Amino acid sequence: MKLTIKTKLIGGCTGLLLVILGVAGIGALSLFSLRKSAFQTTRVGDRLNAQSLEIQVHTLQAEGLVREYLNAIKKLGAEQAKETYLDEAEFEVNEIQNLAANLVKISPTEELRAKFARIPVAAGEYTQALDNVVMNAGKTGDPEELKQSLGAYEKAAMALRESAEDGEVGGKEASQTSQLEIEATSRRSVLLVSVASLLGMALALTMSITLLRAILLPVEHLKEVAENVSMGNLDLAVRRFSDDEIGELADSFSRMVTAVKFFRMEAESSQTEVEAGGVR
Amino acid sequence: MSALSEKVVAISKPYFGPATEAFLNRQCKAHLNIEVAALAQPHLKELSKWVQTSGALLMDAAKAAELAGKIANL
Repeated sequence: MKLTIKTKLIGGCTGLLLVILGVAGIGALSLFSLRKSAFQTTRVGDRLNAQSLEIQVHTLQAEGLVREYLNAIKKLGAEQAKETYLDEAEFEVNEIQNLAANLVKISPTEELRAKFARIPVAAGEYTQALDNVVMNAGKTGDPEELKQSLGAYEKAAMALRESAEDGEVGGKEASQTSQLEIEATSRRSVLLVSVASLLGMALALTMSITLLRAILLPVEHLKEVAENVSMGNLDLAVRRFSDDEIGELADSFSRMVTAVKFFRMEAESSQTEVEAGGVR
Repeated sequence: MSALSEKVVAISKPYFGPATEAFLNRQCKAHLNIEVAALAQPHLKELSKWVQTSGALLMDAAKAAELAGKIANL
């Protein structure tokens, strides 16, 4: 295919446009990915943190209700106290289990998942210990048994509290990790966009210089030849730089210079002949 | 003008432009002792030689050789 000036210009401009679009595309993509990553990591970190705190609140509420229950046994009787306080405490423990299960599901790392997985186990042990307390409190028999079950209950409550606190620490760490991830993604995006922009600029510069050389060099050469011819110097070779309109112009110019040279030689030769005839 | 003469003129036109006929006439008369119109197949080798030699005085030697080659191959 013959590359005309028009084709070169259209190709060059299209190339430049593609380079600009490419750089803009990479920029937009990086920004989009950064935004998505920031949104996701922040959301997960915040949820872990918030739900861990919520678990702690439910733990404290459950313990408070159990304390109320224990105090109310003498006043209201075991059955009435259970109905008044323990149903609500059960609800709190259920909430703890639901929240912990959700946290295990959304935890981004294995370590965090293990941390949150301890909460439902501790909640199960807490429920078991509470059932024992309720069973012994309902009996009118051995106060030692009630004391032992209360001790076991305290232990289970402490274990639940600790696992909830561990969860909260894990949530905070996840939040910080999210922050670090966002910063890392941001740095990566800036680097990517900078490299793409630099490459794009280098490519655009190379293309512009190539395009300018393809047009300017032959035109400047033709101008030089035309100036020489106009001053009577016909001994200058007309170079053909490219197979395009300027190349065709060079051919025409070369043809014209050849013809002028020939006619001048003919004229000089005729003049010499005339002069030689005159001398004779 | 014979068909062969016309072919030679047509081939030489892109190289000599308006001076084509005069240039060829000059070569034919000076070196072959004939008019361009009388060019025949046996003259082509000699004409080609002179086109290359004289053409090189007026244009790039490579272009003159290219034209000479085209004439010789007619």
